[in-house]
Amino acid sequence: MSTRAISSVAIVGGGIVAWSAAAAIRRQLPAIRVTVIPVPVPADALADRIGCTLPSIGDFHGDLGLTEADTVVRAGSGFRLGTSFEGWSGEGSRFTHSYGEYGRPLAASAFYHHWLRAHRLDEAAPFDQYSAGAVMASADRFLPSERGPASRIAGYAYGLHVDPNRYTEMMRAFALHLGAEERSGSVRDLRIREDGFVDAILLGDDDLRADLFVDASGPQALLFSKVEDDREDWSAYFVADRLAIADEPATTEPSPLDHARAASNGWAWEASSPARKSRGRVYSSAHLDDAQNDLIGYGEPVSLRPGRLSHPWVRNCVAIGDAAVAIEPLDWTNLHLAHSAIDRLVAMMPATDCNPVELWDYNRQMNVEVDRVRDFVMLHYVASYRPDDPFWQDASSRPLPASLEHTLLQWNERGRLPFYEEETFSRDSWAAVLIGQGAIPRRLDPLLNSVPEKESARAMEQLRNAIQSAVAQAPPQSIYLRNLALQGTR
Amino acid sequence: MLAQPPLDVVVVGGGTAGWMTAAALAKLLPRACNVHLVESEEIGIVGVGEATLPHIRGFNEKLGIDEAEFMARTRATFKLGIQFENWARVGDCYVHPFGTFGRGQGEVGFHQYWLRMMHDGHLVAELDDYSLACTMARQGRFSLPSQDPREISSTFNYAYQFDATLFAPFLRSIAEQLGVRRTEGRIVNVELDGESGNIAAVELQNGERIAGDLFVDCSGFVALLIGKALEEPFQDWSKWLPCDRAVAMPCRTETAVTPYTSAIAMDAGWRWRIPLQHRTGNGYVHSSSFIAEQDAMDALVAAVEGEPLVDPRVLRFKAGRRERSWVKNCVAIGLSGGFLEPLESTSIYLIQQAITALVELFPEKEIAPSDRDEFNRLVDLEYDRVRDFLILHYHATERSDTPFWDYVRTMEIPDSLAEKLELFRRRGRVVKYREGAFLEASWVAVYLGQRVFPEGHDMRADLPKSDALAGGMEQLKTEIRQTVHAMPDHLGMIARYCPMAA
Repeated sequence: MSTRAISSVAIVGGGIVAWSAAAAIRRQLPAIRVTVIPVPVPADALADRIGCTLPSIGDFHGDLGLTEADTVVRAGSGFRLGTSFEGWSGEGSRFTHSYGEYGRPLAASAFYHHWLRAHRLDEAAPFDQYSAGAVMASADRFLPSERGPASRIAGYAYGLHVDPNRYTEMMRAFALHLGAEERSGSVRDLRIREDGFVDAILLGDDDLRADLFVDASGPQALLFSKVEDDREDWSAYFVADRLAIADEPATTEPSPLDHARAASNGWAWEASSPARKSRGRVYSSAHLDDAQNDLIGYGEPVSLRPGRLSHPWVRNCVAIGDAAVAIEPLDWTNLHLAHSAIDRLVAMMPATDCNPVELWDYNRQMNVEVDRVRDFVMLHYVASYRPDDPFWQDASSRPLPASLEHTLLQWNERGRLPFYEEETFSRDSWAAVLIGQGAIPRRLDPLLNSVPEKESARAMEQLRNAIQSAVAQAPPQSIYLRNLALQGTR
Repeated sequence: MLAQPPLDVVVVGGGTAGWMTAAALAKLLPRACNVHLVESEEIGIVGVGEATLPHIRGFNEKLGIDEAEFMARTRATFKLGIQFENWARVGDCYVHPFGTFGRGQGEVGFHQYWLRMMHDGHLVAELDDYSLACTMARQGRFSLPSQDPREISSTFNYAYQFDATLFAPFLRSIAEQLGVRRTEGRIVNVELDGESGNIAAVELQNGERIAGDLFVDCSGFVALLIGKALEEPFQDWSKWLPCDRAVAMPCRTETAVTPYTSAIAMDAGWRWRIPLQHRTGNGYVHSSSFIAEQDAMDALVAAVEGEPLVDPRVLRFKAGRRERSWVKNCVAIGLSGGFLEPLESTSIYLIQQAITALVELFPEKEIAPSDRDEFNRLVDLEYDRVRDFLILHYHATERSDTPFWDYVRTMEIPDSLAEKLELFRRRGRVVKYREGAFLEASWVAVYLGQRVFPEGHDMRADLPKSDALAGGMEQLKTEIRQTVHAMPDHLGMIARYCPMAA
């Protein structure tokens, strides 16, 4: 069979993921004709429905040529610097997971090694006091890292808190502006060729043919489920299997800090953007009846079936977003993973034969990345300490995937964080969660020997003071957003 | 918890590996260990590791070594890469540069744009012409790279070509200043602890007994500790890397002191040419299954350019590595742990990686298995990746003019390499690692140099208009040419910067 460049892509899905994929392909591979079939977004498509995003969204917008006038001002988004984890290591415990640097390396050792030594001497402030992002978030202030005075002290990064509906509308308009086409209809069935490739989507009364089919329809996987259902199930790793969301119009000023609170049967989040206040509950149906009081005011609970496809790209059909991976929104990885998939899809666009070796590389990279995200999310449970609560006892004693076991062994023994390819969260993020939840290594890094304790203590104190005074100069987020809006309209 | 008392570390062997290890441990872990090195002057060192990778600069920096002094003392020259001659076909020649093609920025590799122009039928220059490092190498010029990423002169890195027999003594003086104890003597017995199986001590010919907590085996091919005493099996890779001999013979430099190493394919292997300040190193790496020792010697003598300085000397080896490099309380670093032929100058790199891993995973007196396992995982990963890269040079050839080349061309290769090759053949994609000896530009240079030409390219490279792209590429080439033109020639740079003592 002859092969040629892919010239048409059909995308099924009507949410952020589908329209983002359409925009990215049109923007970066304009020779490809893109048709979107905007089926309704199901309640369990988290990448389409969760508004909190990681700093990678900024890179994604950069590649598309979108500015904050579009993604923030027009779409009504806010900035987010991190998450405050509350109660994960017992009532009253808390720490902030922010993005970017926690401290600065000193001599041959990472900052967290210096912190661990100072902690042992009882001379360290909480670890998140050394992160400019975390301190700024707790102070309810915001300046972007590249312009903020704190960037000279310790770099930090930020994600956005988007309003999913307005953001989807913005992205749809942008994709259409770039030449993506919209085709209404519902997916009735697929026509599969003899060699297993998808030939066309059968819509209401006609067909849509394409060289490549992208399934962004959420966990239902309208296309992919008809192609392959080989799936890696993670229910042995995660206890929570339900999620409920409550969204209300904003009543307070938007905060760059969101909250993830441990509850007796799971956890709850609270986050605010200029447009809305978002709350959510993740819990285990075995530990909480769906009808219980806890959930009053929330929308209809949806089921979570944690896991990922074994091969998210098979022949000429690729699943992205929740169609490929389902994981609870702890640490807000859902849209991030969808963006990674879109980036790779664009970068690795094969010819019409979808050569197995190219798909192998795509699937390999995706799976490695997704599995490490799973490890990071699971870490919160594994390192938790709520001994009086059956849910948490169960969640913290689940079997570990080998890669997480390896990381924990190295960390618990000597504070080492082994390198993994395609890792989403930096070593500082891992350290922030491990330390924040009280996992303190048995040994100190021997390389610390070349720096006297007093010297690290002095450097740590200086850094903390510098962060404090830099943060004091940053405006509250609401003022920053107002200025941004004014610039946009000038 | 109290700080651990320092560990007694015994380093066995005083070659490049031994003194690098001793100096690094003494410098980086001053209060965590007491280092005692045992060497025997009668044994001598292999010391063919004359060509290095840019990573060595990081090592020297950590030790606080002054570059100019180091280069003068080891009679070193600069190295911008390796020139491969006659590999894919007789008459072929390409450079594997320590630098990028194009500016090395942006999401899409420069070679993708280059491929696109080729596929579109445009006339473009060789890929080398768009690499500053390749152009400098070809023109024999050198100056230190710029630190400003906006400048084209920041797009290369460099290593050294030096006299390895002078490197160990240079490191020894540093190590001894840092408090490393040295004992001269031949080891006649390795004493194992009956209960744990750990090494308790080594005994010297004069009866002296040197005990320790941790032993580092830098004894070279004999692998006194990890091989002879602990009997750790050796994983043999000679079916993929059949070369098992080298004849080495330095000569006077008659032609150029090139800022690069040459690797010239021969009938049953390949020949190195490494120009130093005072002489040129030569050697013929070959397979004893395909050529007799005497014939290899004759071929080398016939090929070298200047008057030989010594008679040819034969080295015997086998490609592969120990199943585990760290066993019990013994860590193998250097040739005792594994050997890969010097085709890509990885010997010192592999030593350095093992030292870095040992420093990062430096154990307690009671060694935690997790330290040992992690060290072995890291070392294995490095060896396996370098192995695949080396095999690529042999396997991706069109040569069938000798039985040796016919064998390597048609042999089975590891799956990990077969996948990489196929991926590149499709559309020039390189399996991406963020860490490892050889990153994207190196793989691209060798694939293309070995005539593995992709059928397609990254679709994102189709985005710019073709005249804009052609114009940009032309401009880049001119900028590179002008930048290189303004640089001093290699010898002039050395004379100013780091001349050896007369």
